Amino acid sequence: MGESGDIDEIWRRAEGGAVAILDCREEIPCDPCEAVCARGAIVVGKNVCDLPRYDPGLCNGCGRCVAICPGMAIYLLDRSSRDGGARLTLPYEMKEEIKAGDEVWALDEDGSPLGKGKVVKTAKMNKRDHSLLVTVDVPEEWALKVRGVRIRVMSIGEPLEVRGCQREEDHLLCRCEEISRSQAREYAAMGFNSLRALRRFSRVGLGYCQGRFCQAMLVDEFSTAAFRDREGVGVFKVRPPVRPVKLGRLGGENG
Amino acid sequence: MNLPLEHTALAVVGAGPAGLCAAVEAARSGVPVVVLDENERAGGQLFKQVHRFFGSRRHGAGKRGYEIADDLIAECLRAGVDIRLGSSVIAFFPEGELMVDGPGGVYLVRPQAVVIATGASEKTIAFPGWTLPGIMGAGAAQTLVNVHGVLPGKRVLIAGAGNVGLIVSYQLLQAGADVVGIVEASHGVSGYEVHLDRVRREGVPIYPGHRIISARGRDGLEAVVVKDLRGGRTVLFEADSLCMAVGMSPMAELAAMRGCRMVFREELGGFLPWHDEKMRAGLQGVYVAGDAAGVEEASVAMEEGRMSGISAAEEMGSMKKRQAAARRAAVSRRLADLRRGPYGEARMAAKCSLYCA
Ligand SMILES: Cc1cc2nc3c(=O)[nH]c(=O)nc-3n(C[C@H](O)[C@H](O)[C@H](O)COP(=O)(O)OP(=O)(O)OC[C@H]3O[C@@H](n4cnc5c(N)ncnc54)[C@H](O)[C@@H]3O)c2cc1C
Ligand code: SF4
Ligand code: SF4
Repeated sequence: MGESGDIDEIWRRAEGGAVAILDCREEIPCDPCEAVCARGAIVVGKNVCDLPRYDPGLCNGCGRCVAICPGMAIYLLDRSSRDGGARLTLPYEMKEEIKAGDEVWALDEDGSPLGKGKVVKTAKMNKRDHSLLVTVDVPEEWALKVRGVRIRVMSIGEPLEVRGCQREEDHLLCRCEEISRSQAREYAAMGFNSLRALRRFSRVGLGYCQGRFCQAMLVDEFSTAAFRDREGVGVFKVRPPVRPVKLGRLGGENG
Repeated sequence: MNLPLEHTALAVVGAGPAGLCAAVEAARSGVPVVVLDENERAGGQLFKQVHRFFGSRRHGAGKRGYEIADDLIAECLRAGVDIRLGSSVIAFFPEGELMVDGPGGVYLVRPQAVVIATGASEKTIAFPGWTLPGIMGAGAAQTLVNVHGVLPGKRVLIAGAGNVGLIVSYQLLQAGADVVGIVEASHGVSGYEVHLDRVRREGVPIYPGHRIISARGRDGLEAVVVKDLRGGRTVLFEADSLCMAVGMSPMAELAAMRGCRMVFREELGGFLPWHDEKMRAGLQGVYVAGDAAGVEEASVAMEEGRMSGISAAEEMGSMKKRQAAARRAAVSRRLADLRRGPYGEARMAAKCSLYCA
């Protein structure tokens, strides 16, 4: 049996009513599903990074784990209806409203629409936000394929291919003092190999942002150009104020 | 310059999860605590986060970011912490004074101890056209969408497939934008698979091994040119917004100004103040915690915050040595648990390289 339960057993149990399916495959620090399951069907254990171990035999299909999982990695499968279809309960957090009776797109794991399904019920996950548990009827063949529902499917198209050679253009690294990448490389070629040394020579890092935006990029540029590790290139000496402040306020004014 | 001067026991800079937890820990053991944060709301990154959080239950996982923040703020207020909002700390002098730009003007604070919990700032990358309107950090996009309810654009391209890029993509979809793709210069997705699955099942294509070459547009962004590093092909995405989620780096200028030694650790986001396991930054009465001490996650930030609060309380004599040691051991255990698994191990090793060095 896998950590997330035996899929054949889940399939069989779903004939008797809703049962959870967990799609959580990575060891990440996460465990709220364990606490919320009153039946003890999900166990993460002492180490939060362990995979949840799920026993479908204990699940009663209450759906609380579906509502709490931050990864939206749990859903319910119910195959008890006599007309042979599958009834799925999935988390839904989009802005477009979904209500019982709606026809919605059923999407697979890549977001490709499998076709339409009919919403039989929705339930609010909690009082404070708009997220829903949506229960939708779909053909049995899709039972293990559907991962989400949507009213509107994005039509974004493919990116366009650009032909011809793209020559490398120069651009700014430091916006405040207008220092370009080619200039930074020139400085490195002149022998400057630390940010502090450079700041004594140019005004880089002394502009409005005090180096907050450009520092990391300059460190990268210098360590590449001067073959020096980043700690060697170092950071600017930090001078007050670390936040822009009106000079008058330093004199005690309040405005 | 004759600025008003105030004395206090512990000053915490930053009211994110790290700062709030540091404050609670110290205040509960009887230390008077002032928390300073430049935002108008406490909670740091948390109050911008509308998604349910990963992490362990005891760190509020499963709740939404702003709910976790509300709980921590309530804990602080119960413990008697003085939280001052709209208060930027603009300097931390080597003599140990903080300069604060607060609602009532600029003043100095001379604390016995300081916890620097100022979080992280977003990295950027530069390319021709990067200053065009429509190009912004993922954090700015989040503030627009989650705090102000405004879309950064209708067709958005995301740069960076780490957790932040994936989460922000999802939040933009939720708000009604089309996300035309996520481009990532490295060859894999560094974010969690569950986050990746969530955006994929909404139909967002992921382009690993793709680097941004340039951005084009007249008055604002119109297109982004991207090179496929493997195939060698160059493609153009039509987009009116580009959100950069290319990593965060610790924001610890205050520690640097105070004189803390800055070290570079790629796994923790770049330059950070050296510190030990007790979150002491190598100078008497200076502690660091949370993303400012290495970019990790909210649950880790909370535990590091607690660690720094315990250490400060002990060194100020408000907590007995044995009690402090016991509490620290418990925090260390939880931190070790959080830094397991394929994602945590590298961060654990990087942190350990500090303590052992
Ligand atoms: C999009 C996104 C999604 C995330 N999702 C998750 C998740 O699901 N689970 C998880 O565990 N983590 C998540 N994280 C990470 C988590 O938010 C951070 O690790 C955590 O907030 C770090 O806490 P912190 O207290 O160190 O810093 P922050 O939360 O950044 O707080 C720092 C505070 O310091 C203040 N500050 C900074 N400088 C000054 C100054 N000079 N003067 C006064 N105040 C100052 C800032 O205003 C801010 O309020 C996410 C992060 C992002 C960006
Ligand atoms: S559906 Fe209910 S019983 Fe089944 S695993 Fe989830 S929380 Fe437990
Ligand atoms: S709550 Fe979801 S993502 Fe977290 S461990 Fe459980 S199944 Fe996995």
